[in-house]
Amino acid sequence: MKDLKSYLSGTIATAALFAVLGSQAIAETSMEIEAGIGGSDPDPDAPLVALGEPPIPLDNPQTEAKIELGKMLFFDPRLGGNESTPCSACHMPDVGWDVEAPISFGYPGTTHWRNSQTIVNSAYYGKLFWAGSSKSLESQAKSAAGGAVAGNGEADMMEARLAFVPEYVERFNDVFGDQWPRISNAWRAIAAFERTIVQTDTPFDNYLRGDDAALTEAQKRGLELFAGKAQCSECHNGALLSDEKYYNTGVPAYEGWQDDGLAQVTFRYELYAKGSTEEMYRHTKDDPGFYFRTKEKADKGKFRTPSLRYTLYTEPYMHNGMLETLEDVVEFYNQGGGENEFAENKSPLIQPLGLNDQEKADLVAFLKSLSGEEILIEEPELPDYQPLPAVAAEE
Amino acid sequence: MMTKARTWFSALSTVSLLTIGVAFPVHQAQADQPGPVEAIEFDPAKAALGKRLFFDPRLSGDTELSCASCHQPENGFTDGQALSDAYAGNLHFRNVPTLINSAKRAAWFHDGRIGTNLNDVTRESITETYSMNMDMRLMQERIKQDPAYVEMFEAAGFGEPSNGGVRNAIPEYLKTLISRGAPFDTGEMSDEAKAGYELFNASGCNSCHSGERFTDDLPHNIGVGDNPDIWATPERHITFVTMMKFLGVENYMNLRADPGAYIRTHTADTFGTFMTPTLRELTYTAPYMHNGTLATLEDVVAFYNAGGGDDENKDTRIKSLNLNETEQAQLVAFLKALSGEPLTGPEFVAEDIDTDYAPIENWQDATN
Repeated sequence: MKDLKSYLSGTIATAALFAVLGSQAIAETSMEIEAGIGGSDPDPDAPLVALGEPPIPLDNPQTEAKIELGKMLFFDPRLGGNESTPCSACHMPDVGWDVEAPISFGYPGTTHWRNSQTIVNSAYYGKLFWAGSSKSLESQAKSAAGGAVAGNGEADMMEARLAFVPEYVERFNDVFGDQWPRISNAWRAIAAFERTIVQTDTPFDNYLRGDDAALTEAQKRGLELFAGKAQCSECHNGALLSDEKYYNTGVPAYEGWQDDGLAQVTFRYELYAKGSTEEMYRHTKDDPGFYFRTKEKADKGKFRTPSLRYTLYTEPYMHNGMLETLEDVVEFYNQGGGENEFAENKSPLIQPLGLNDQEKADLVAFLKSLSGEEILIEEPELPDYQPLPAVAAEE
Repeated sequence: MMTKARTWFSALSTVSLLTIGVAFPVHQAQADQPGPVEAIEFDPAKAALGKRLFFDPRLSGDTELSCASCHQPENGFTDGQALSDAYAGNLHFRNVPTLINSAKRAAWFHDGRIGTNLNDVTRESITETYSMNMDMRLMQERIKQDPAYVEMFEAAGFGEPSNGGVRNAIPEYLKTLISRGAPFDTGEMSDEAKAGYELFNASGCNSCHSGERFTDDLPHNIGVGDNPDIWATPERHITFVTMMKFLGVENYMNLRADPGAYIRTHTADTFGTFMTPTLRELTYTAPYMHNGTLATLEDVVAFYNAGGGDDENKDTRIKSLNLNETEQAQLVAFLKALSGEPLTGPEFVAEDIDTDYAPIENWQDATN
């Protein structure tokens, strides 16, 4: 194993080095900590660096007015089926911008089948959802608003609703030039808002930017374990602390599927709706994850590495919320992960770590340095419907 | 003929629906000798399944609405309102049509936009965002979770619960909703109603309201007035915009009139035409017209007596009738004589349904 200290003292990165996140990602200097030190994985691992500004897609530039509109729409239940599931229903700002239960609520009359992910720093992902099925926040918003166990909204209906809110008509016209609000622009506005819900000043970021006192001694020891002995940074690397690749770490199946009828309904629905062979539909008892995107057996049970940022507020953990605390997560990996029905696909990177109690505590301490202050906002006032003026007939 | 029908219906009530299906041949309605409405052969096991599904709110997205929420047996399978409710979050811009005798229609909905079969009507009603807003793949898994359905689907010959089975079973139940016992059919009309029947034919009502169900199953424009509630209530107008956009109606944001069956042709002369409704069971199905703007049968008769409403596409057959008050009352009496027994007995209404989802035992080893 290399000496971590030599990297900490020796490496100052510049914006040009952070190709992973694109040129906009980092606009300031930061230390660079080598990731995956001493690991068996031959893949290059992006160094750990401070988080910069999020990438902004060229076709959806940020403007104040767009962000303000997106904020309203994020909280507006009219973007859903029965007007009870705005984005904020499953991404609640005061509990980490997600849901505290292992599995997200789901649309009324249903339950979801995966853990709700935080909105915080979602701007940095190249792939959204646990199996990476959306390529942008724009398309993620659209999919979530439409899914039968999520928003269950229908595009024509949601678009029509927006047209009956004069304030939205004005704002969509101002921001997008729409004569009547277009639903695709609602997703753009929401994505623009989400790109402002970022956190780049965690203790770890401050440390990387040169504030040595930003991390406690325990956290510094934890960092060393994170990048070295504990092998966390084999996958949790780069500024986001995610390589955005897909792994099966052996997370056990959601236990609710054993005894919760409603959860069983949704489980079979997902197998059916996402596309399964009959053999698979009949006998699968766990979430095949990334398989649904590739339809390769070797991808069953794999999920995209989540960022570790803001995890202080986003318990429980894993794609199905089966681990309650950060201590549980560290213990899970210390034991070499778990076992699920796709055991043949379990990543060989996941091996028992042999950490002692002190080391586990240090690692947890470091993980907590990846979260700053809780991000709370005041929910916007939502404008009411109004009848369409008859004058519209003359336009 | 009338005696035969009565005998048959009383026989039906004494014999288990599970063991006997109706085997009367369906014949073409005869315009010159309407009624009674001939029964339709149906499969009892499929119909019993369809009945339970019809009353089960788990067939809607948020499990709040069943088919029976808007098609209520005690209101002649309508909801008694001028304009229908809709899936939560919205309201509808049309009146709920009765489902009694609907298995005999040639086209469904006020605009007749589905002209195939009740299987498609069932699909449309369950999935449309403004009706039940249900992803049928999720619906399938919901009903599969209910052991009662697993048994009933098997008994009906549908195998395991499936969307296709639902789309076949509900139409089978609808076949059982056939008018019966109307004074017109039983020979028990009052003299006033008999006089009204004469006027009905003499006034040309039967030119569209023909056959055993008193409808030609075609769209016509009679100049029904606007229902301003649609445009004053955003939740209704939104539903209108949503449907018109989906149906490809031009200029849907500026439209302030229901195009009706225009959506089938997109030719100007069909704008504002609506399917001739059945005149059966009217005493249960007020208010009237596609937008519920006429509250009573007296209002309806007065409307036609005045030559209908104002519309450039109005059918040329709609002219002032010059009926005096006595004659109008006779016509109303006749219309009321077309309503029979309410279809509210247990053969038409499902028992209470336990909508909880019991977990499947031994989940890990059970076949999904």
